[in-house]
Amino acid sequence: MPSASDPTRAHRLGGPLRAVAILALAAAVLSFPSWAPNPYILSAGVVVLNYAVLSTSWNFVGGFTGYISLGHGALAGLGGYATGLLVVRAGLPSFVALAAATLLVAAVAVPIGYAALRVRGASFVIVSIALVLILLLVAQSWASLTGGSRGLVVPRPFPGLLRPEHHRIFFYLFAALLALALLVWWLVDRSRFGLGLKAIREDEDKAESLGTPTFAYKLVVFVVSAGFTGLAGGLYALWFGDLDPVFQFSILTGSYLVLMALLGGVRQLFGPLVGALVVGVGLEYFKVEFGNTPLHLAATGLLLALVVLFMPDGVLPAVGALADRFLRPAQSSIREVTAAELREQRDTAPPGADRAADPPTELPVGAVDGRSGKEGP
Amino acid sequence: MPSGALLFQSVILGLLLGGLYALLAAGLTLYFGIMRVVMIAHSAFLILAAYLAWWSHARLGVDPLLSMVVTIPLFFGLGVLLQRLLLARLRPVTLTMMSVLLTFAIAVLIEGLLGYAFTGTQRRIQLGYGSASIGLFGARIAVVKLIAFGLAAVALLTLYLLLKRTRFGWALRATIQHPDAARLIGIDTDRIAGFGFGVGLATAAVGGTALALDTTIYPSLHWHWIGPLMAIIVVGGLGSVPGAAVAAMLLGLVQSLLQIPLGTTWAQTVFYLALFATLAFRPQGFFGGRLAQRF
Amino acid sequence: MSDETRGTGTPVTSDPAISDPATEGAAAPAADGTGSLATTGLTKAFGGVTALDAATVTFRHGLVNALIGPNGSGKTTFFNCVTGMIRPDSGRTSYRGADITRRAPHAIARAGIGRTFQLCRVFPRMSALDNVLAAARPGGLWRGLRGARSRAEVDLARGWLTRLGIEHLADVEARNMSWGQQKLLELAGVLMSGPETVLLDEPAGGVNPALLDRIGSLVRELNAEGRTFVIVEHNMDLVMSISDHVVVFDRGRPIAEGPPSVIRSDERVLGAYLGV
Repeated sequence: MPSASDPTRAHRLGGPLRAVAILALAAAVLSFPSWAPNPYILSAGVVVLNYAVLSTSWNFVGGFTGYISLGHGALAGLGGYATGLLVVRAGLPSFVALAAATLLVAAVAVPIGYAALRVRGASFVIVSIALVLILLLVAQSWASLTGGSRGLVVPRPFPGLLRPEHHRIFFYLFAALLALALLVWWLVDRSRFGLGLKAIREDEDKAESLGTPTFAYKLVVFVVSAGFTGLAGGLYALWFGDLDPVFQFSILTGSYLVLMALLGGVRQLFGPLVGALVVGVGLEYFKVEFGNTPLHLAATGLLLALVVLFMPDGVLPAVGALADRFLRPAQSSIREVTAAELREQRDTAPPGADRAADPPTELPVGAVDGRSGKEGP
Repeated sequence: MPSGALLFQSVILGLLLGGLYALLAAGLTLYFGIMRVVMIAHSAFLILAAYLAWWSHARLGVDPLLSMVVTIPLFFGLGVLLQRLLLARLRPVTLTMMSVLLTFAIAVLIEGLLGYAFTGTQRRIQLGYGSASIGLFGARIAVVKLIAFGLAAVALLTLYLLLKRTRFGWALRATIQHPDAARLIGIDTDRIAGFGFGVGLATAAVGGTALALDTTIYPSLHWHWIGPLMAIIVVGGLGSVPGAAVAAMLLGLVQSLLQIPLGTTWAQTVFYLALFATLAFRPQGFFGGRLAQRF
Repeated sequence: MSDETRGTGTPVTSDPAISDPATEGAAAPAADGTGSLATTGLTKAFGGVTALDAATVTFRHGLVNALIGPNGSGKTTFFNCVTGMIRPDSGRTSYRGADITRRAPHAIARAGIGRTFQLCRVFPRMSALDNVLAAARPGGLWRGLRGARSRAEVDLARGWLTRLGIEHLADVEARNMSWGQQKLLELAGVLMSGPETVLLDEPAGGVNPALLDRIGSLVRELNAEGRTFVIVEHNMDLVMSISDHVVVFDRGRPIAEGPPSVIRSDERVLGAYLGV
């Protein structure tokens, strides 16, 4: 695939830095099971990875189209319950049930998306919340199928395994799923399809007037997002083995995912992952230190409000800007760039050079200043 | 086949409940009209008001109705502050989405703080007239339900008169229908929008008091209200106050009737079914104006 | 009513027969002056206000059509109805003989009708190049999954930026561009989508005289390459200098049409504008 964005990546200082960061992150994740001090910490790692997969899945809708779903927690719960029920009631092998549950969640997402995405944003949010409430209601009330409030016990896929081994296997399974979700997100990000989705985020009417079939685009990406979410939920069910409707269909799970993605940065490939590391580790830590208190809830609300108000673009862009300022002190001190300097800057860029679509703040600070100074003529 | 008396009782109860829904949905509709904001925290404030009513009765020994003397002005002020200090800060381009998140965050914050202050224990006001009921053609209607409906009706009527008969209401309607034009004729739309939010939140104060009279309350109760309320405003057509009122009465009635064969839990699904059906087949709602079309 | 003034030998400043198909994506049909975009009885009311009142209009294929009229005469509502952005209450729209009344906006765009917006709309947090690339035909999901920056498409997009004189801004985010630059960018995007008919909503609005000239001559050039234009515009100098055919709206319906020279002296038009 020819891509004009490659040359710029190389010439930017951010490029190699980024590659190093990614490699370090991957190494840290993959080696985690070997240096995790005890099985509990390892299981906390699985929980955090699960959050990372879920918020990356959420970001297919939230990041590309700007449509915010508070109901992805319920889609994960649906994946979990579907997997569990297929194993328990239909007697399917665990991973066959997982695959079937994934397809089921994706299929359920079609009518939901059809109702929620035909019109603009507000209805989508309303439907996403309604989804959580209705699934909770069904899971609790249809006790003959789901076990109701008593919950559902899902048999483990590897019965002979000791607990630490069980955690270790699922840790790698979640890591693989995370890699897959990131890969697909990256592919969409650089595709025409992704460009169309981003156009929807920027101005949906405008995108449609240019010939983008906005409804179909939104629906497809929603179904993909739901599929990944359902898959992660199902995998969680196989790992954890005990489903409680109150936790599976919780509006709070959905809001954690939003918080993670938003905190990390929804326009960034690794934004939700970073957010999940921060928020997920925080959640696990507070659970150990203070147990489940209502202050959990209050803190989540407060944090979400602060992010929405003061950092709607997330930490990654902010850190990126900071890193650029730190690494290029000379340029950051130039507040105004003359037209001649700007031309020079342009000329030094390789021909056909082109910015990557996503990270606006990774541009050198000087260039940003120059641009705003260029508005005049 | 249920008896006539039971049916009649369900109809009455449905209408009484519909009145409360209508009042609360009117508040949600106001926010949406003013700023295209889906105010998720509306029902959290409702529960907050209910807790304040319960607290003033249980701790201070005051009749819960009297708590409104404090909660209505308090909530009005909170509404103004919420709009002016928080929502107005958001970027207009992403306002709809970000305001949902912000109000959602506030709802979670309120739920958490309520749980911290009052614990998760279920609370209920024990009133002297709490168990009294009157018989009407064989139907038993609790007095507190009538009081709650009366509150809602008076508040709705007040809201109607405020919107239709006062200068403020005129300015508010102008702001909702055409903010640019309203600014041109000298309306301070920012101020009016703030006041509009105040009025909207005041409906939650009244509703919460009414709710506290005959309902067991707990911090996470607001999720049971926000779902139906949002269904109501979508079915009614986002932004249409009369639409919301009609949808509220209708759905309240249907819910109450469905409780006979299905029980209270499954009867709730009527709201979600109505929500999905409306969005799938008539996204602009059934009573909505042009405002609703593209949301 | 359109038949009376039909084909009155409007002076076409450049001969469409020698259209230049060099630019990829440009349609080059013969300027036969027959109907291209047409409406019959198009009606739209907002609340109690009738914005379009049974408007029956036919625009000519291959020509630069202008749609003028006083403020509030329904011109923008007409554009919105024709492009599917709002549903008319009644009436029909057809394009090149096919009924497009109930089609979705993207389907109408794909049928060959592009449009700009009155308050120019671009994708604010995308670079100029991405703005133009986003307008390229995605062509199905599988093709859509390919990279957004194939060499051919980037070249085409840069070609449009160059043609509109803003190629030096290719990497600049649209929100950091001036109003005039954004207007040119919006036009570049619309042209990238390859429409044979382009609806321009007030191209001269808020634009300085030099840019105005450029937009005027650009429209003539693109028309010479075979594109049909329908232009809503208040700047009468521009309308009279670039259009072949003028339709005048008043209170939601056409009251006159014809070549600019005729419209200039039409009493009904003067009446509508002066309010007599």
